[in-house]
Amino acid sequence: MSSGEDSKFLSSLHKVPKQRSVFSYRRITSDLLNRNWIEGAIPFITFFLLTTVILMTTDGYFAPSNLTTLAQYSSDAAIVTIAMLLVVAIGGIDLSVGSSFALSAFVALYLFHIAGLPVYLVFPLTLACGALVGLVNGFLTGVLGCGALLATLGTMITVRGIFVIASQEYLVEISSSARFDETWEYIGYESFMGVPVSFLVLAVVAVAIFLMFKYTRFGWHILAVGGNRKAARHAGIPLKRVILLSYVLGGTLVGLAAFLFAARQNSAGSDTGVGLEFFVLTGLILGLGGFTPGRGSVFSTLLGFATIFILGNVLINAGFRGDFINGVMGLILITVLAIDMKYRKERHRILARAYLDPKPMKMDPVLEMGKMAPEFGSAKLGGATLLGVGEVDGPEDVILDRAGNLYCGTRDGRIMKLFAPDHTRVETYVKTGGRPLGLAFDAEERLVVCVAGMGLYRIAGPGQIERLTSQTKRSWTSIEDDRQIRMADDLDIAPDGRIYFTDATKRYEMETWGLDLLEGRGNGRLLCYNPADGTTKTICDNMVFPNGVCVTHDGKHLLVASTWTCAILIFDLARMQDGPRYFLRGLPGYPDNINRASDGGYWIALAGMRSPVIDLAMEDPGFRMRMAKRVPPTNWLFGNLNIGGVLKSDRNGTIVDAYWDKPDGPLYMITSMREHHGSLFLGGVTNNKIGRIDLDEADKSWNGPDSYWPRET
Amino acid sequence: MDTGLKQSSKSAQTGNDPLLQNPRGEETDSFLQQWQNRFSFKQHPLEYIILGISLLVILIFAVMIDGFFTWGNLSIIARNATALTILGCGMAVVIISRGLDLSQISVMVAVSAVFGLLLTAGADYMIALLAAFLLAIVLGALNGWLIAYIEIPALMSTLATAMLIAGFCRWGFLQGEFLVLIPKELPEVIFFSTGKLSVFPVSVIIGIVVLIATYVLLSQTVLGRMVYAMGDNYISARLTGLSVRTATVFIYIFSAITACIAGIIVSSGSGTVDFRIVTNGTLLFEVIMVVVLGGIRLRGGRGGVFNLLIGVILISVLHNGMTLMNLSGQVQNLVKGLILISAIVIDNYINPRDAETDTQGDL
Repeated sequence: MSSGEDSKFLSSLHKVPKQRSVFSYRRITSDLLNRNWIEGAIPFITFFLLTTVILMTTDGYFAPSNLTTLAQYSSDAAIVTIAMLLVVAIGGIDLSVGSSFALSAFVALYLFHIAGLPVYLVFPLTLACGALVGLVNGFLTGVLGCGALLATLGTMITVRGIFVIASQEYLVEISSSARFDETWEYIGYESFMGVPVSFLVLAVVAVAIFLMFKYTRFGWHILAVGGNRKAARHAGIPLKRVILLSYVLGGTLVGLAAFLFAARQNSAGSDTGVGLEFFVLTGLILGLGGFTPGRGSVFSTLLGFATIFILGNVLINAGFRGDFINGVMGLILITVLAIDMKYRKERHRILARAYLDPKPMKMDPVLEMGKMAPEFGSAKLGGATLLGVGEVDGPEDVILDRAGNLYCGTRDGRIMKLFAPDHTRVETYVKTGGRPLGLAFDAEERLVVCVAGMGLYRIAGPGQIERLTSQTKRSWTSIEDDRQIRMADDLDIAPDGRIYFTDATKRYEMETWGLDLLEGRGNGRLLCYNPADGTTKTICDNMVFPNGVCVTHDGKHLLVASTWTCAILIFDLARMQDGPRYFLRGLPGYPDNINRASDGGYWIALAGMRSPVIDLAMEDPGFRMRMAKRVPPTNWLFGNLNIGGVLKSDRNGTIVDAYWDKPDGPLYMITSMREHHGSLFLGGVTNNKIGRIDLDEADKSWNGPDSYWPRET
Repeated sequence: MDTGLKQSSKSAQTGNDPLLQNPRGEETDSFLQQWQNRFSFKQHPLEYIILGISLLVILIFAVMIDGFFTWGNLSIIARNATALTILGCGMAVVIISRGLDLSQISVMVAVSAVFGLLLTAGADYMIALLAAFLLAIVLGALNGWLIAYIEIPALMSTLATAMLIAGFCRWGFLQGEFLVLIPKELPEVIFFSTGKLSVFPVSVIIGIVVLIATYVLLSQTVLGRMVYAMGDNYISARLTGLSVRTATVFIYIFSAITACIAGIIVSSGSGTVDFRIVTNGTLLFEVIMVVVLGGIRLRGGRGGVFNLLIGVILISVLHNGMTLMNLSGQVQNLVKGLILISAIVIDNYINPRDAETDTQGDL
């Protein structure tokens, strides 16, 4: 074909309507539920709602002066929240934070006002007081293994008792003390560059704990113990020490918060810290979106705390009393916990219900095939010679090298080599670890293979396998992270070495690809790997189950089978951005792989046959949805994948021959075929054998590798 | 083989298959052995330790404090212990079923506040009583529903409902006050506070009735069997086909009803309902303490009314003795806190947790 003829031929073909990105509420729901960050969305949403309501109802609430005041007064409780997070993250709870806070504040006030110690001594001793309470809690829960709730309840009562007794003795004296110290005042009242000192302390603590959870061994140990105590124990993590230390660290933070409080208030009352544990716990549960041990999200927690704090503040400003706020806190707690429990329980159910997302699809009428239709043609595949029976399990694609050795992938992840000339000797060539599907030889006679679930791999020799690519660029419109190539299906290599391959579906796996038919959506894509710079690009997205790929004989075009639409598409390799045109449409079955024939035409494997009923079902998405939900999979109406065949097309997309199997086999579903020296080798993804038939009128000297990579003569 | 045949023919005659009654074919313990087991030191060390400590404390107090071991003082102890015993009955049932009811005091205060307000408003005594009981049932059912059907862990949901109930009740009914006065001049109120049936105070008799009712519930009814089954292994109780959800709702309703009875007795006695005991008081912890001290393990499935009694005796005697010794409430709280911690430690030592089966969130 000359280039003029060529472009005329191409422009005579119909363009495939452009598939835009998929917009469907079902898909958005299921993709959202699949994302990990959705679990942390509750605090963000509530915080956003709360601030919106405040902005609409209250003037000047977020004015800098008010924000400074809020920051100053909330810092100590926020630090206590982080302390609680440490303890909850390890799978415990600390009800004694309120009492410990009060006692530490008292210690700070006593040491400063009555003992008259300098601030640099008051500070560590206050921290030590908090740490001591933490040590007791940690000893009881971590070392002795008592239940955290009751043990800390005990320390809560005891420490409160100590605080009340001590404060009765000294509080009057403290409040009448006139000691003045610049550092003390600075910590309590001053701002550093417009930010209150206590808030800066909070920021430092938050960042430090965040880094601890993210990067340090101790932080990881805490999360491991909280996530699964048994597994952590089996992994050799010193449980007792980690639990003890996290309680001590939490206690120290409580001491720090109490120090800030003491410096600011310069007094303490008998109700100091009463109910603090519930307040802090509410913020924490709102921030984490539930009572979830093993999570160390410092900033989510602080956001939850901020929501609770601002809510309480706003309610008080609006004239509500503490009792009402308590009730509201209880209500928030119950709501968040209920959402969390129901979400965790129902997530998979909603996901399963929303994931399948069918779309109406109008099938092209079946091509007029005349005497080639199965009911007239003799079953030419019925007498096929069978190779490797029982030794190859599921050869989706077969390929032959120049020497006539036969290669195929198997269900258990191996690529088998059947040695020439009679293909009776079968050996494992390489183990891929995934599900090898499409095969092709490159210019250096290395095997390149599409491995479903893994990506594109290249095999240099027996046992030598290397990954070429497993990811492509992320598409902008997808909520789901679609970088990973989920089901690399078939490939072919252009003369310039670029590897074109298909990712048949982005939404299903090797085991569930059948569901993609029920969807009937463009879930697949055509990708290109460029070995020159190692990049992978998405050439054409939203294709309907793109399957077989074949570079035309002239090396200028690319044929891609779109299985569920029963069509073969053609791309111009020089102008890929123009999108595909229809090379062949209305096939009588579902096309799988496409390969070159010796006479300049193409072989097309039909994995299964269409039926009028399933064609009709494809027009009605509701029907398919109900069927998938209510009927067990074994009874689904589906494409007839029990029998298939091979079609031969000429270079212009006209069917010239058909090879059908007999209804009783032996090859059934045919997914691939290769011509080699006058024989046609046939593979099937559900077969346990490879078929071979001899072609009478074929060129006996033709073989695939020579056709792709002509040897220098 | 031979004996098996004989047995089966015998049971076919009598219609009384021994294998059905005793599936493992073991010798059934005789009545005497059952009682020996029930009171063996090896199986119940904590009870004996606490009982010993209680006797020791009683002995010390009897020697140290004048007028401790008098009939008048003992009846005061019994009267003061009534509320704790009644609340303890509800809490014991909940804890045996592997739950926890942190909202009990909240329910008690809320219910008796409604009771008091209705009486003050001039409602008929029986109607006020009925309203109080109905409210208790609703609140208990709310707890049970949240735990059984929404599946929020008992600890968290009752913590939240405690805040919810006390907060909204005080806000809605009391307009921010924390005290409700009970009209003490009503004959029914007087009957409950100082009335006597022959020599026994009415409140003590009610306490005993609740104890007996709890005993019957735990050992004689289907619900009681389910309580133990759930406490032993909740999952297998559910898989066996027991209606654990319904049972949970009933268990928390029972707890709320005990709270209601205790609330009415306490408020009739003192003439006030004080909301501050929800946040400031230590009553809730005392209730948990008497349950744990008596040897009802927190992981559920073990214990009964007798264990509860042992715990109540120790705490009430201690309470009474310390008050007679003029110790302040703060010191008493301190001592109670220390006792609670020691009880937990001892309980943990006797019933250690298994690190292999220990799960997360098991507080």
